[in-house]
Amino acid sequence: MNPIAFDLTLPAQIVSFLILVWVLAKFAWKPLMGMMEKRRLFIKDNLEQAEAERREAERIRQEYQEEMRNARQEAQGIMEQAAKNSEQRAAEILAEARRETEKLKTAALADIERERERAVTEVKAQVAELSIAVAEKLLRARLELSGQAELVEQFIQEVGESRPC
Amino acid sequence: MHETILWQVGDLGTIHGKTLVMTWLAFIVIFILVFLGTRRLTSGTPGKMQNFLEWIVDFVRNIIRDNMEYTKGAGLHAYLLTLILFVFVSNMLGLIPNIFWPLFEHVEFAKLDEIFHGAALMSPTADINTTASLALLTLVLIIAYGIKYHGPGYFRHFVEPYPVFLPIHLIDMVAKPMTLAFRLFGNIFAGEVLISVILMLPGVGILGGVIPMAVWLGFSIFIGAIQSFVITVLSTAYIAQAIGSDEH
Repeated sequence: MNPIAFDLTLPAQIVSFLILVWVLAKFAWKPLMGMMEKRRLFIKDNLEQAEAERREAERIRQEYQEEMRNARQEAQGIMEQAAKNSEQRAAEILAEARRETEKLKTAALADIERERERAVTEVKAQVAELSIAVAEKLLRARLELSGQAELVEQFIQEVGESRPC
Repeated sequence: MHETILWQVGDLGTIHGKTLVMTWLAFIVIFILVFLGTRRLTSGTPGKMQNFLEWIVDFVRNIIRDNMEYTKGAGLHAYLLTLILFVFVSNMLGLIPNIFWPLFEHVEFAKLDEIFHGAALMSPTADINTTASLALLTLVLIIAYGIKYHGPGYFRHFVEPYPVFLPIHLIDMVAKPMTLAFRLFGNIFAGEVLISVILMLPGVGILGGVIPMAVWLGFSIFIGAIQSFVITVLSTAYIAQAIGSDEH
């Protein structure tokens, strides 16, 4: 028996196989590949979405960082400003105090001057009085003539006692 | 080895009944496989059978990608998928013991009692008519894709670079499907012959044939898988040649 024998089996097989191809293509491969494509798109979408979200998060992170840096800078500025202000204020206070002291000092000096002048005036008055007294005593001593020495002694003593300062 | 059971079709000629019945049996097996795989189609987590089918789909897609631009060969995908599945299931069919024998023992309709007679089923691919029909379809696809992508200019390559080469190109054109057909047929047919031979070993009914049978069945599974892969890859490569005959 020859195993290589062609007959109508050949066209029958062609037709059978084509039917198989058609049926499988229509009912199996098409839906199956559709599903696979759908899954592929689903995964692709998910990946893209994840990528977008990652980028968004990165953007927000950078934004926050920027904001933080700004805030820090601002705080630094405020602190510097405050330090400057306080320094200035301190200087002002100091100057004021100095001015005040100066004023007080001037007033005190004026007072002293005034007191001194008054004292001098007083002294002058006393000196005048004393002079008059001395003159008086001298006159009296001259009149008595005797005891001139005692008179001088007394005069000097009196002058020494009545000196105001 | 199987006896050829002939169906007479009027005055037209004869059909190898056993081959045709086994082909349909292979179809049924494929339908069951595919039905199980596509029963609960989902784009989410696929079931085991869907996963298996998707693996085959990807496998064949990669075969196409290896040979040509996928966009050009996308139309071949369904055909090649069916081809690899059919050839594989057919090759395996000859290794399955004849479990249907009790069913058709006394059915004389269409000589079914003779068809399901013997120790094992038969591979449809162990018949040259089956493999030749597959090879012829490949030939048709080769020419169809050649014309599709090159128009009538496709036939010019038969006389290139010189008209003297025409006979060589013609031989090439005939040899491609012929080798396809005979390679598959020879491998599977020889496998079945050897199964018959092993079954004829003396004392096979007791234990003598078990070890060689097991070894040979294992090898046949390997051969069957390899051959289904080979015919698919070669068909793709031949068609890719026709598509890209300008570039190559």
